[in-house]
Amino acid sequence: MSKFSTLDKYVSKQGQYELLPFRFESLDCDDVVLTNFVGEFVIFKRDKLDEVVQKRLLPTDETYSILRSRHFIKEASDTASIQLLGLKIRTKYSNIRNFTNLHLFVVSLRCDHSCQYCQVSRQSENKAAFDMTEETADRALKIVFRSPNPAIKIEFQGGEPLLNFDLIRYVVHKAKKINEVEKRDLQFVITTTLSLITDEILDFCKDHKIFLSSSLDGPEDLHNRNRPRPGKDSYTRFVEGLQKARDKLGYDSVSALMTTSPASLTKVRDIIDEYLKHDLDGIFLRHLSPYGFAIKTKSYDAYNVDRWLEFYREGLDYIVELNKQGVRFTEHFASLLLTKMFTSNDPGFVDLMNPSGAGVSAVVFNYDGDVYASDESRMLREMGDTTFKIGNLHANTYEEIFTSEVLLNALEDSFTMSAPMCTDCAFEPWCGAEPVFHHSIFGDVLGRKPESEFCKRIMGVVRHLLNKMQTDPEVKEIFMRWVNKC
Amino acid sequence: MKLEIDETIYCLEAVQKAAYRFIDRLTIMITKDDDKLVCEVNAVTGTEAQFDANVANFKRELLDQQLRKQIKDETEPARNLILAYAFSRTGLQG
Repeated sequence: MSKFSTLDKYVSKQGQYELLPFRFESLDCDDVVLTNFVGEFVIFKRDKLDEVVQKRLLPTDETYSILRSRHFIKEASDTASIQLLGLKIRTKYSNIRNFTNLHLFVVSLRCDHSCQYCQVSRQSENKAAFDMTEETADRALKIVFRSPNPAIKIEFQGGEPLLNFDLIRYVVHKAKKINEVEKRDLQFVITTTLSLITDEILDFCKDHKIFLSSSLDGPEDLHNRNRPRPGKDSYTRFVEGLQKARDKLGYDSVSALMTTSPASLTKVRDIIDEYLKHDLDGIFLRHLSPYGFAIKTKSYDAYNVDRWLEFYREGLDYIVELNKQGVRFTEHFASLLLTKMFTSNDPGFVDLMNPSGAGVSAVVFNYDGDVYASDESRMLREMGDTTFKIGNLHANTYEEIFTSEVLLNALEDSFTMSAPMCTDCAFEPWCGAEPVFHHSIFGDVLGRKPESEFCKRIMGVVRHLLNKMQTDPEVKEIFMRWVNKC
Repeated sequence: MKLEIDETIYCLEAVQKAAYRFIDRLTIMITKDDDKLVCEVNAVTGTEAQFDANVANFKRELLDQQLRKQIKDETEPARNLILAYAFSRTGLQG
């Protein structure tokens, strides 16, 4: 006699389950995707959805145990299901409790480049007009260390921040001094084109473990076309700067970002090959934002979301093929979404947060002391729209800045769990509120989602990711590797 | 075009939500006539060529929205319990 009961003793009785909250969306080929509160998902045929809801799904069905384990259904004896889902929600939103992590210091608006899509930079030698002062930086640092977050990241932005390197040096020394008492996990990043990098700057970066975030738009002709500077040598300077920075700081201390200009649209494979050529281990296929010079020069209007999605899909498919051939290379936008789809971790990407990450997970100190809820907010300001200015370092306290009506109203009014269409959308757990984008297009932080390019872009990318995983199991393995990096 | 919808099969909330999802393609005015909901449907300028396909998709969306409503109603107590549990240690409950 066996000490164990046979498997059939554990099989439930037909129709004995209850539904737990979930949402669904139709996909291609008569498939539907179901998501629960925290973004766990399952895909099957539409007929099966009706079976599930009408309680006709047999316990012997292959999806029954999946639905039960991912908390889409529960049996009367599953007393832990609700508690487990509650715990997962708590984990998912635990970052909110920590409040602001990323603090952007716009140390100068001056820049040696004049990029067609740049939102903010100035071709000016006037330091007094466009550089942050030590006094403003001191006030910003006081705000930084009021954040309860155990991890603090200070990112120096521009213009070209290296044009005000003395202030970067000042802020790093001062922040580290304050941190001797505060003992936070303190990190520094400089966002730079690398065109003005010197050995002296790199020595400083090495001494203080400063990470460099740079820009590479593609092959030399495309990069130089997108990023004009005197001498037309932006690409050469990037390549030389990258080499120097890697030699001094190590490979992992320098990354690159690209922006999709109209000229990029037919060159996604060339752009990816360029990243591979420089041994970069991934790319962020970014769209243009509807701010600043991108609007002024009509770059933003030069392609719509459908054309960008075509570009993105071609790029992602190429990257997947590379991975199948053994090349380890990640598409970072997909990776952010997949992290939300496959884990309970929130990657903390401002665009994909709800409540919005603007002013909560990130805040911007502009060169003149104005405080903005996000990088996009200060870009709007350069277009004359100060809607998301939440205070000024010289005039307002921490309390006044972070409880400003502007910020609280934007967070509340854009909250996706109560937004029309979002509230029923199965992709909502993976998406974000994006009040600044919607304000810039629609004049209100919510916008009309069916007309929203943001909504179309996220839906388009998510559908492509799901369809690729559904039609090719190897793709799912590749995606899982992107999410679970060693 | 007018669509007459039996309110004993599709509730007002489902019809409103379906209409909202098509706001970029169809202009839909909803009125009530006894036990029927009447949708006056017009194409948004520039989408006239896809009008028939959009109306067909709108009808499918009605089914989805009614099903969503059914799931939402049935799972309301569980949803409240899960959220209450999730925030039970935050001190934010009223």
